[in-house]
Amino acid sequence: MTSVSSGAQRKRFDVNGWLFVGPALVLIATFMIVPILHSLWMSFQQGRGMNLTFGGFANFAKLWNDPLFLTALTNTSVFFVVQVPIMLALALVMAALLNDPNLRCRGLFRTAIFLPCVTSLVAYSVLFKSMFVTDGIVNSTLMTVGLIGEPIPWMTDPFWFKVMVIVAITWRWTGYNMIFYLAAMQNIDRSIYEAARIDGVPTAARFAFLTVPMLKPVILFTIVTSTIGTLQLFDEVANLSSGAAAGGAAGPSNAALTLSLYIYNLTFRFMPSFGYAALVSYVIVFLVAVLSFLQFYVARERD
Amino acid sequence: MNCSITARIGAAAFLGASLLALTAAEAAKLTVWCWDPNFNVAIMKEAGDRYAKTHPDFKLDIVDFAKIDVEQKLQTGLASGVADGMPDIVLIEDYGAQKYLQSFPGAFAPLSDKVDYKGFAPYKVQLATLDGKVYSMPFDSGVTGFYYRKDYLAAAGYKPEDVQNLTWDKYLEIGKAIEAKTGKKMLALDPNDAGYVRIIMQSAGSWYFDKDGNANITGNAGLKAALDVEAKIMKANIYKPVAGWNNWVGAFTSGDVASVFTGVWITGTVKSQADQAGKWGVAPLPKLDLPGAVAASNLGGSSWYVLSASKAKDEAIDFLNDVYAKDIDFYQKILVERGAVGSLLAARTGTAYSSNDAFFGGEPIWQNFSKWLSEVPSVNYGVFTNEVDSAIAANLPSLGKGASVDDVLKAVDAQVKTQIQ
Amino acid sequence: MNPLRLLRATVVYGFLSVMAFLSVFPFLWMAVGATNATADIIKGKVGFGDALATNVGSFFAQVHVGLVFWNSAKIAILSTVFTLAVSSLAGYGFEIFRSPAKERLYRAILLTLMVPFAALMIPLFMMMGKAGLINTHLAVLLPTIGSAFIIFYFRQSTKAFPHELRDAARVDGLKEWQIFLLIYVPVMRSTYAAAFIIVFMTAWNSYLWPLIVLQSNEMKTITLVVSSLASAYYPDFGVVMVGATLATLPTLIVFFAMQRQFVEGMLGSVK
Repeated sequence: MTSVSSGAQRKRFDVNGWLFVGPALVLIATFMIVPILHSLWMSFQQGRGMNLTFGGFANFAKLWNDPLFLTALTNTSVFFVVQVPIMLALALVMAALLNDPNLRCRGLFRTAIFLPCVTSLVAYSVLFKSMFVTDGIVNSTLMTVGLIGEPIPWMTDPFWFKVMVIVAITWRWTGYNMIFYLAAMQNIDRSIYEAARIDGVPTAARFAFLTVPMLKPVILFTIVTSTIGTLQLFDEVANLSSGAAAGGAAGPSNAALTLSLYIYNLTFRFMPSFGYAALVSYVIVFLVAVLSFLQFYVARERD
Repeated sequence: MNCSITARIGAAAFLGASLLALTAAEAAKLTVWCWDPNFNVAIMKEAGDRYAKTHPDFKLDIVDFAKIDVEQKLQTGLASGVADGMPDIVLIEDYGAQKYLQSFPGAFAPLSDKVDYKGFAPYKVQLATLDGKVYSMPFDSGVTGFYYRKDYLAAAGYKPEDVQNLTWDKYLEIGKAIEAKTGKKMLALDPNDAGYVRIIMQSAGSWYFDKDGNANITGNAGLKAALDVEAKIMKANIYKPVAGWNNWVGAFTSGDVASVFTGVWITGTVKSQADQAGKWGVAPLPKLDLPGAVAASNLGGSSWYVLSASKAKDEAIDFLNDVYAKDIDFYQKILVERGAVGSLLAARTGTAYSSNDAFFGGEPIWQNFSKWLSEVPSVNYGVFTNEVDSAIAANLPSLGKGASVDDVLKAVDAQVKTQIQ
Repeated sequence: MNPLRLLRATVVYGFLSVMAFLSVFPFLWMAVGATNATADIIKGKVGFGDALATNVGSFFAQVHVGLVFWNSAKIAILSTVFTLAVSSLAGYGFEIFRSPAKERLYRAILLTLMVPFAALMIPLFMMMGKAGLINTHLAVLLPTIGSAFIIFYFRQSTKAFPHELRDAARVDGLKEWQIFLLIYVPVMRSTYAAAFIIVFMTAWNSYLWPLIVLQSNEMKTITLVVSSLASAYYPDFGVVMVGATLATLPTLIVFFAMQRQFVEGMLGSVK
């Protein structure tokens, strides 16, 4: 970093620094921090709609006894534990394959695999719903190929519904993560690989012992962003499980009820309880904070 | 280089100016929020045109969002107390009426001083009544009927007369016979949707709540009977499992299933398959064997509400009253063009309601629906219908896997208790 | 080619081809849907149909296509330009002009990423109501401009910005804002391109917040329109597919136009 000697220079340095970050700070303070504090205040309030009163820790007691909250927490954990590793492993493997300079059609593959993340949510949910219906294209293809004998009840069975959600999220976000890995891999000095190759280190071992450790900062970055994304999972589950008439569950047996979807329901579909909804959102903040801390901690320890 | 700096500053200034231009406001008219371009949006437009004939200055601005989005925007607006940008008239699904009336007191204008409610189906008036005042202009009804394929029925050895006074046991028996003879399932069922439970329960005059609005789950005979029917349908395996609206509609329009019992608003969809003309019939809903149960019920339906913060409140009320409470001809037109069955009982005296429908083999279906409409039991939809409904829907799959009705009721009760504190 | 290498190549190309196909297939499905009548889509028809003209016709009849695209484009472009400007200034500022106070603020900004948007909707809406901004595109834009993620991205990328360039510019007597505008911005072109794609896509596709603050038909974006078409009582799926396809085209075009710089820009951010 730049060395600063005299006081005048120091001052110039400081003033400039604040001018650069100032606009962003003002905007974030206004449109993030103020609403966050407001909702924190709301999380201590109780009541229906506009009739809010201060309830102290009453919302906490409700949270403790709420079976739906437990369902939402469990589902969110399942999506997190199953989906994030699958997606990141897939992204990593594909990035490694695409990083081979001798591979033909690299650009084509890269573009195709990245493409899903440009679709709009609305288009994507309409598409997936129409593809995964019982007599839809996915089942008929799987049956033609001979992978399954009976159509899979994607939309009506709690287990398969979760599988479908995982497939959908993985479809949309794998390419996005892959681009980060690919970019990082292209920064790795090729000579290291050459040396390892000449020493007779096999491909798999080069990947595991050279590539992965050097990518650690990027992998950590994608793990943290995917953690945040999965714990806040809303768009996909809300749209894939909608379409039923009034009421209805969030997927069969609430299989797709995530914490964010529960917050949404508490705010808009159920009797509006804004205070309680705000509290549930701070559960997400808490979980993300703990998990991110753990992830950084694990990563740091091995340094 | 200086030149390029100037250009950049110029560009920044331009962007700043265009940002300011974004805040320009637009002119005011009577604004309506509703949700289906081919249904309530089109109908509201027709209503506006009619009113404008006698009130030349009248202008209606109809804004359509998805139904769930209308609810969300309404809720956000009311909760934040921001009257700015709120509509003058909004359409609300009947199940949610009490929730809005009770959680946002004073937000909606009572209409009972201006509107004569004696002409409407009683259950539609009841559901929008709070503390003796009525807040809604009743709109479409979801009065139910049993739509069935006459050809499949005949193949199984039954005649249309056999389904006019159905019990649910007889319904199951016919379902099994149809599957044995034609290989077709009796109905399409979405295990993620509690619509059938609501229909059957309301036909017994029950709802998830008692008359005072308290949750009534484990000791609710109507609800228990409804779940029992649903369990028997699943156990007899006379249903085709479907997911979502699209899939459900596809099942009966394609001839995959022999029947559907649901709200009258489905008529247009059934009739959209012109090649099936003459093959369909509509009978009353099968009846529960419970005291007070009738062969009529309701699914869905919605009503218009006027916001008290509206600057044109009186005009809005006068408009709704003039068209929706008085114009019999209007109801004929929306029935013919949009398949909408209103809740104004007098509408049945019009020509469209008196005509027989060739698609349904010349049955007087609109007279029938009007008769059933007047029989729909009034129930208290309460303020927590969505919460309980979601709990019921979440437990339907376990009912299908053989859990007893009592266990399901207990599970629902446990879930609902914390929800509706 | 020896058999082992052939096998390996087969596996690699096979795997990538399957993945690429699966990634692209839903787009094809959407295009196929746009050519079919609703009744056929509901029945799960697979091949191309002949209803494209009808579907496009009724889409244009139902939707003010010009207006909604203009609204979407205006919001997406302004949001992208302002986000890039404000957030790149901040990312640069945090990296170059370090101080303990700024580091603490920077960490606080990153923490805001953890708060789900659902928690902020009601407070934000009340704020916009007080400011009289309900039903304006400004209300859609303002909360998106100070983006913690993009600030983070620019700060990471700035680490790769050569110090020598800065030092030389200072010796030449350039002011700090001149160094930023005349040296940093041109040098970091591809970083800006990558950020452009990400922000543009997010802004173009954004749904929940615009839905809440925009109230009238004249203000709606294409995403809102497609969503309301898709959730009618009897949705016309052929028309919905046309809408979905049209709504996806601009992001596809932006991506294809800038994809080379995009990959280069990503390279910088992960060093």
